[in-house]
Amino acid sequence: MSSTGLSIPFKAEFDANSQEFSLSGVVRPRSIDEIAASISILKEAIGEVRGVLYINVRRLVQMNNTAFHVFVRVVIDACRARPDLRFVIVTSSVVGWTTRMFARLNEIEPQITVEVYDSKFYPGQSFVENTSFIPILRTQTKMTWRHERSILPRHGLRPGIVMADICCGIGDFAVLVQKEFQPARIVALDHSKASLAYARDVAAGFGITGIEYTYGDASEMLLEDNQFDFVSCRHSLQIFNQPNALLAELYRICRPGGRVYVTNEKNSHCLGEPRSQSIQWTYNEVAKLFSHFEMDVELGPKSRRYLADAGFDDIVVESFMVTNLDGDPRDFADVIAAWEDVYAGEMAVKRGDSPEFIQRFRQGFQDHIFAALHPKGYAGWPIWVASGRKPL
Amino acid sequence: MEIAAKEPAEAGFEPLLQLEMEMETFLSDWRHCDQLSTYVARMVSHNRTDPVRHSNFFSSALNELLELSFRGGSPEGQIGCVIYRQGATERVRLSFPCPPGHRQFYREAVSKTHREDAYARYLDSISTDLAPSKDVVLLDLAVNFDAQVRLDEDAPPFLTLVVDLPLEGIVS
Repeated sequence: MSSTGLSIPFKAEFDANSQEFSLSGVVRPRSIDEIAASISILKEAIGEVRGVLYINVRRLVQMNNTAFHVFVRVVIDACRARPDLRFVIVTSSVVGWTTRMFARLNEIEPQITVEVYDSKFYPGQSFVENTSFIPILRTQTKMTWRHERSILPRHGLRPGIVMADICCGIGDFAVLVQKEFQPARIVALDHSKASLAYARDVAAGFGITGIEYTYGDASEMLLEDNQFDFVSCRHSLQIFNQPNALLAELYRICRPGGRVYVTNEKNSHCLGEPRSQSIQWTYNEVAKLFSHFEMDVELGPKSRRYLADAGFDDIVVESFMVTNLDGDPRDFADVIAAWEDVYAGEMAVKRGDSPEFIQRFRQGFQDHIFAALHPKGYAGWPIWVASGRKPL
Repeated sequence: MEIAAKEPAEAGFEPLLQLEMEMETFLSDWRHCDQLSTYVARMVSHNRTDPVRHSNFFSSALNELLELSFRGGSPEGQIGCVIYRQGATERVRLSFPCPPGHRQFYREAVSKTHREDAYARYLDSISTDLAPSKDVVLLDLAVNFDAQVRLDEDAPPFLTLVVDLPLEGIVS
């Protein structure tokens, strides 16, 4: 059910399979009559479920006291009428007021509990969000920027535009874009508070203003519809277990006629000479390892399909290869060493791989480093760039 | 609607934004509360540490104040809203014409936010009232937004709510 009389749409839905009533959008009615249909859905849900009813308000952007009171009264009344029933209200750590307001309800009725949905719900990504990984992330951005700075204009980046960098990580890409292209405004969003704190420190240290760093869940952003000329999301669809959901959000915040720009890898195509076979074996295993944790690091060439399925037109796809010849080969080697630490040292261990497997797995990274530093060697890391236009 | 960049600061607070609107116009459409709170929040929050989340939080609080003035205001005169800042706190001065019979009610509602039992009253109101009263709207601001609320009655028939919102500390 969606609102019609209110200025900004909201949606109330009940999913019987998951016993979840969800409320999203902006709910600011003048009177409860305006949300009567949504209240009915909640009451029907309460009548239908057994054991527990999940009330999902993660995507509830605003709710006034008029609406809050009436929804809460229905739940409190149900607690008193149905002592067999528990209510779990799921809020978002991004929308601070919801957690504060709904958390009070537990003090009124112990049957009501509140769970805060935050980055811990992305367990796979925690591997690459360790703060010790920050220097490597900076090196990676330095290596890819050599290519992307000339690629970006072909995908619509130009001075004066309004831009969002979603899954901005430590914010270094946003800084480089601001220096090179001078957009009018950059909003940079990530769900790692540690990365954002680092980004803000760097920006402050360099006297950089004009980048608005914000904490948020990329699949459920507070950012409004149709407001950015250019939305970048780099190396993130591939580590997100629901890339379609993320793309839908990127589409939503992009203005009609604007472009969404994504970069992704195909890890099995990492290469090197000499010792190419060992290298290839390891990176094939990297792809399988990420797949185990619901991440698709083979996504790069699939970007065109993902963008088309999300509704974009005028899709542009290209690829580039970061190599040991681009700059200091030591940088390339440092990145591979960091990958080895995380992929072989943490992820493979967590998957429960045998010591023999891990030893062979590590060898491929070592051989990639050998190739990168060899005076006659060649080492490559391919990246796919894709962008699509949101139709007018 | 007029927006002035600067107003004289009060007690160490720096003025950020002033907004005035004919009350009759304001009362002509309920959606003005949502639209004004969203717009003002975005302007005020743009240079906070996390502008998007600060704006969301601020809009939530300001909307409640605007809805309060919508429900309790009279159509003669103007509604005025001035936002100030001091450190981590934004101050909202919201003035609107108010019928004489309602003034005592606002005095009591503001007074309740300062009492020791404010939290208990808030919980009681949520669990028993059928609809939110003006009391609980101000209690909500005090409890969930850590707001300090006071009343300024220097210019009858206008009533001014002064609400300090330390949201930067909560958001960040």
